[in-house]
Amino acid sequence: MFDNTFTPEQQMLHQMVKDFTAKEVAPFDMAIDQKGDFTDGLFQKLIDNGFLGLTLPEEYGGAAFDPIATATTINDLAYGNASVGVTLEGHYKTLDQLMKYGNENIQKEYLDSANHRIFAFSNTEPSGGSNPTGISSTAVKEGNKWIINGDKVMITNGGLAEVYIILVKSGENEFSCFLIDKDMPGFSFGKREDFIGLRGTPVGEVVMNNIEVSEDHLIGKRGQGLEIADQAHDDARILMGAVLTGIMEHALKIASDYAKQRKALDTPLTDLQVIQEKIANIAISKELTKLVYQQAAIRKQNGQPYMEEAAMAKTFGSRSAVKAGDDALQVLAGYGYSREYPIEHLIRDARALEIAEGTVEKMRTAIAKAEFEK
Amino acid sequence: MSEIWIYVENHFNRVDPSSLQLITKAKEIANGRQVTAVILEDHDQDFENTVKQYGPNQILLVKNDNLKNASDETITNVLVDLAQEQKPDTILFGATVTGRSLAPRIQGRLKTGLTADCLDLRFDDDLLVATKPSYGDNIMCEITCPKNKPQMATVRPNTFEAVVDGSSEPKINEVEVTVDVDPRVTVSDEQGSVSNTRSIGTAKRIIALGRGAQSESIIKKANELAGKIGAIVAVSRPLTDLPEFSHEQQIGQSGNTVAPDLIINLGISGAVQYVVGIQNAKTVVSVNTDPKAPIFDVSQYKYVGDAEAFLDGLIENV
Amino acid sequence: MKIIVCLKQVPETNNVKIDPVTHNLQRNGISGVINSFDVNAIEAALELKDRYGAEVVALTMGPPDYEKTLRLAMAMGANEGVLLSSRGFAGADTLATATVLAAAVNKIGGADLILFGRQAVDADTGQVGPLVAEKLDLPQYTYVSKLNLSSDGQIDAVRMLDGGTVRVNGDLPAVATVRSELNEPRYATPRNIKLSFKKDIVVYDEKDLDLDDSEIGQAGSPTIVTKVYTPTATPKVTETLEGSAKEAAQNLLTKLSEKSIL
Repeated sequence: MFDNTFTPEQQMLHQMVKDFTAKEVAPFDMAIDQKGDFTDGLFQKLIDNGFLGLTLPEEYGGAAFDPIATATTINDLAYGNASVGVTLEGHYKTLDQLMKYGNENIQKEYLDSANHRIFAFSNTEPSGGSNPTGISSTAVKEGNKWIINGDKVMITNGGLAEVYIILVKSGENEFSCFLIDKDMPGFSFGKREDFIGLRGTPVGEVVMNNIEVSEDHLIGKRGQGLEIADQAHDDARILMGAVLTGIMEHALKIASDYAKQRKALDTPLTDLQVIQEKIANIAISKELTKLVYQQAAIRKQNGQPYMEEAAMAKTFGSRSAVKAGDDALQVLAGYGYSREYPIEHLIRDARALEIAEGTVEKMRTAIAKAEFEK
Repeated sequence: MSEIWIYVENHFNRVDPSSLQLITKAKEIANGRQVTAVILEDHDQDFENTVKQYGPNQILLVKNDNLKNASDETITNVLVDLAQEQKPDTILFGATVTGRSLAPRIQGRLKTGLTADCLDLRFDDDLLVATKPSYGDNIMCEITCPKNKPQMATVRPNTFEAVVDGSSEPKINEVEVTVDVDPRVTVSDEQGSVSNTRSIGTAKRIIALGRGAQSESIIKKANELAGKIGAIVAVSRPLTDLPEFSHEQQIGQSGNTVAPDLIINLGISGAVQYVVGIQNAKTVVSVNTDPKAPIFDVSQYKYVGDAEAFLDGLIENV
Repeated sequence: MKIIVCLKQVPETNNVKIDPVTHNLQRNGISGVINSFDVNAIEAALELKDRYGAEVVALTMGPPDYEKTLRLAMAMGANEGVLLSSRGFAGADTLATATVLAAAVNKIGGADLILFGRQAVDADTGQVGPLVAEKLDLPQYTYVSKLNLSSDGQIDAVRMLDGGTVRVNGDLPAVATVRSELNEPRYATPRNIKLSFKKDIVVYDEKDLDLDDSEIGQAGSPTIVTKVYTPTATPKVTETLEGSAKEAAQNLLTKLSEKSIL
């Protein structure tokens, strides 16, 4: 297991996040799902305790933690509540692109504020699904300015985030990424989705009406947009593997605790093979998902390609987590089916990740293509 | 003759029960040693009258008005002077906050050993063998202090029973000592804990009602008993539907987790969501008509029968 | 204002076992964490740092691995960390531990307030704070649930006793041991965690502290552990109250009062 190779810094962070999760996140897990939003004060606590700046360079007030520490943090938070993990996943993947592709001016202007403002990445449009080439939002160059128009939907943290990197058409068969800010004239929020799971994380719409930005707001080069969007997907999928591991750890804990204190007639549940099998299956899936997201994170840190491992973490992890929730539900039987226990929302939460950031069907195509190219 | 000293702790003009428990235990293991209760009090106090009922061989009494609201430092000055003069073999304290604060201070000045929070004591020849738990009671250690005297220990309250013993009248040895009041510290009057009667989360005593105890008369009687013993009435989930109760009084997974010293469960079967809510309770008493009710698995005392009749019995005799 | 916070590292879990052959504690593979009550002591010091700009020094005695507990204190906001580490310190009981800590406090140049957690969760003695106070001839404020320092060198505290509270006040310098009721400790933020690993840690041994071998470690410890064992698990016994409801109720009241529960 890679956990044993954590550096002392990573280990201390891991411990701190576990403590934070136990006190500030886990007790509100059910309430977050029921409210359909973060409970009061939780988001501010994430800001106050420096979670938003986890990956930012030290000179911008951040902690400059590496991909492994970042994914572990998401894993630990998601054990308490998956939405908290997903909201930070959306933030970190966006900052990754700004740090990698943004020019010095835009970094200076924005990175510091990412310690207390959520950033979001957006490419999906009402008509296009997740096929980026179908998008119709545009950026048109006028003098040294760009004028941006269009409509983006299904944005993770849409409405909560204050800064967005959006993928638009900047010419014939040319796509580019731009950074826009909610305070810019022409920027407005549209409707928030009413999803069945991950209900703490807002997913919403941004409408752009003649937003005017300088050349500095072009992230990467003109025409580099699809590459950046792909990169953002890959970065997100590692962290989704971490979210899913957290969900499975949560399901395992509930099912195992329950089995340890209950009997069927006079036999402890822990002695029943049908129960053991379910517990073992959840544990196996949890551990394998963790290993593959950690493998992807290590490759990312070492500068090696990680598209395939990231896709595997998300693909394997999402189906496994839905199944883990289902197995845990069966262990608790009637109680598992009750809204008094969190299992039912774990299943709804996990289900989202078979779709978001590329469907599992699309992931398998990408993995297969990569294999054929070997 | 070698002596076992017991420091008699007092609060609110009452002898702390831990001191009386130690007198009984010390007599049991004394094997020829003299058991001496050491009382420091002011002239308005007469703790010796309580202490002597428990039959120590001797009471070493210091009466001095400087001992009113004395600081740890001042008590240390007095006890160390007495110990250096009379050279007891062993000094015992209750492992209360006071005992755990005074004993190490005295230990430090007498340059000897001290074993904390003991669950058992015995003598092997001259050596006091103190059994102390470690790692949250998972491990037991036997500890001795072979080269230094006095041998000292603090003993966990309520480990031993205090037994009244009128077989002999203890000798009261009142001594005059100078009380060196440490001028650096001022101690105010003690204040009793204000028990928060509103919150079941912090309640020390709870009477919990479940589906099998939801009649109006039981609720009334439960409140009556609660008033008598300073408890608070809580409920399992089904009873939150009654107008008298709300989520505030609910124990369990979706309600409150409680950690009282005593909980009396009436008509509660023990669904898993309820049981997780009481797993930190120290003493669990349960009454249920179903002899197979799972609540009995987590109870120290059980009564199979009618909750209301049991409640009547408690109210009548408490 | 200068504050020294004394810390202990304890096993991550209390679920330790005894080797059936050697009868030694099996602590291999159990990693160490800071004693939870000590985190409240750090927080108490940091609140004084926030308020008065106090300098906060974290102090611990133990093997080199205890460095991580000092790093945590620094990641929470302590200015520096001092590690008392030497083979000679091994096997110390509370008295020998207090001897080393008191010497270190003097070596550091003393402090206005020396803070401890109320007790360590492994050995549960709570003795080292009062012992250090005694060795330094300082007043002690133990089991503190409220704590105020004034800029003119006064300490005002509320001690939480078993059945009540008592207010104690007086002059600094002093030693205080704190209860978890005192405060809600802050978290070490990710950035401060990173920065804490860039700081140096001072290490002292017995020579630096000018201590004699007879005062430290096993030689300086009056108590010895003669036996270690796992308590035979007394299964949670359920006692059945017999007889009529009235008899059973009477019986219960007698038992509860014998055990001073009621």
